[in-house]
Amino acid sequence: MSVLIDIILAILAVYLALQSLLAPRLTQSVFLFFAFGLALALAWIRLGAVDVAITEAAIAAGFLGVLFLDALRDFSPRGSEKKENLEAVQNALPKNNTKSLLLPGMALMLGLGLFLLIALEAVWKIPDGGGLTAAAEALLPESGVEHPVTAVLLNFRAYDTWLEIGVILLGLLAVFAVGGIKIYRKPVMATQDPLLRQVILFFTPVLFLFGAFLLYIGKTGPGGAFQAAVLWGAIGILLHLGGRPVFSMIPRWLGQLLLTIGLGFFLILGFLFIAGGATLFEYPPAHAGVLILIVETMAAISIAAALTAIFANLNQMNEGPNEIESTN
Amino acid sequence: METYQIYTLTSAVLFVIGIGGIFASKHFIKKIIATMIMGGGVFLTFVSLAERDALAFADPVPHALVITGIVVAVASAAFALALARRIYQLTGEESFTDDK
Amino acid sequence: MMIKEIITVILLVVGCFFFLAGTLGVLRFPDLFSRLHALTKADNLGLGFIAAGMAVYIASPWAALKIFFIWLFTLLASSTSCYLIARFQKEQNHSKNGKEGG
Repeated sequence: MSVLIDIILAILAVYLALQSLLAPRLTQSVFLFFAFGLALALAWIRLGAVDVAITEAAIAAGFLGVLFLDALRDFSPRGSEKKENLEAVQNALPKNNTKSLLLPGMALMLGLGLFLLIALEAVWKIPDGGGLTAAAEALLPESGVEHPVTAVLLNFRAYDTWLEIGVILLGLLAVFAVGGIKIYRKPVMATQDPLLRQVILFFTPVLFLFGAFLLYIGKTGPGGAFQAAVLWGAIGILLHLGGRPVFSMIPRWLGQLLLTIGLGFFLILGFLFIAGGATLFEYPPAHAGVLILIVETMAAISIAAALTAIFANLNQMNEGPNEIESTN
Repeated sequence: METYQIYTLTSAVLFVIGIGGIFASKHFIKKIIATMIMGGGVFLTFVSLAERDALAFADPVPHALVITGIVVAVASAAFALALARRIYQLTGEESFTDDK
Repeated sequence: MMIKEIITVILLVVGCFFFLAGTLGVLRFPDLFSRLHALTKADNLGLGFIAAGMAVYIASPWAALKIFFIWLFTLLASSTSCYLIARFQKEQNHSKNGKEGG
């Protein structure tokens, strides 16, 4: 019975993935991709990875979905017109496009089929290495937290997590580099709509509380810095959409501090450990729990700020150059 | 058939769908979606193996790696979207076209 | 024990029925407004029944409260987004009509 659920879920995920690539319209693609993300989140739950499920649903389906939807605003309306033009041009040309596409298409299908066979065989015969469960279980009491995934993320492999916060910041810098650092619009009166304003007013503290809850619960169960960060980032996005871009309301130095505090605090802590005679990110077991909670909070603030800034920057990308002044 | 085997096989299929999508789809956004699907396949392999190696709890190391990986994938997808939109803004192209 | 499970199953089935009805509505209704109506009304009711079923099954007041809040927030978010989509569509219609008329 439970195997049946897994099989249905697997077929659903594959179907949604195929459909999101084959859908004729871009909007359909994006929405099917949302659905694909949620199907994957269900698969994570079936596999006992609740942390991954929350992260997938929040970041991969939620945040990325918002970015895609925002990008659709850019592409869809004029894009379809352009496509018609392109087709008209192609029809006017005396080339036989179908023939030239047939051979590469068949080659691609053949290659993919072969690759699929190899991949299926590879995953079927993955050697049983035993994994690191036993090692994690043995060290769990020293980690300062009770939830193994949090222990791995913030203690055993804190180095990865630290670099990952760096990667998000790097992503933001790359977005800045491509689009130019925007001078954010001055806060306008949050849309004239009274209902939207009230809902934003209501959800801001609720999301904040919920994020804090997830952050704290990460010590004992699924949850933690990333999940909390997305919820806090959602506050920033909501406020931005409601006409109150966070980064134009706070002073510049504060914005920069929020963006870098996670990376910086983590690193300073690591160096303090080195100064104390331990290795980088080797928490003293007695204070590990408290230190992890502080690091997580800082990391969550930074990630949330970075997500908000990425969204805000992308959101203003398609506005005309007369409205945005790039500075450098 | 074990649960993890269903999902590892699915992950292989998803990975191949993603690769095919990167080659076959034209629009930038579809290419980005294909990349994310490919990444989803990889993550699914990891988490399935974590479930296979479960003792009292599922192997937490792949879980942590996948959480990290999802966030990194999303950050790179955001960068890709920024590039795509910038290209569209500057040239009006929404896919790589060589026939001008 | 048995009674609890039976109640849970009944609530879940009723919830799934409403979800099915809502999905059918989205697929079959002709225009955006009636689709929104089907989606938000029926699905929220379905979610409510499923949440109630889960709360009965878990049978812990603390968890039940959390589930209730999940339902409440979903209700708020979905009704707001429904309203916003409907308003956007209405404005589009207005501007279109205005253009055609003028």
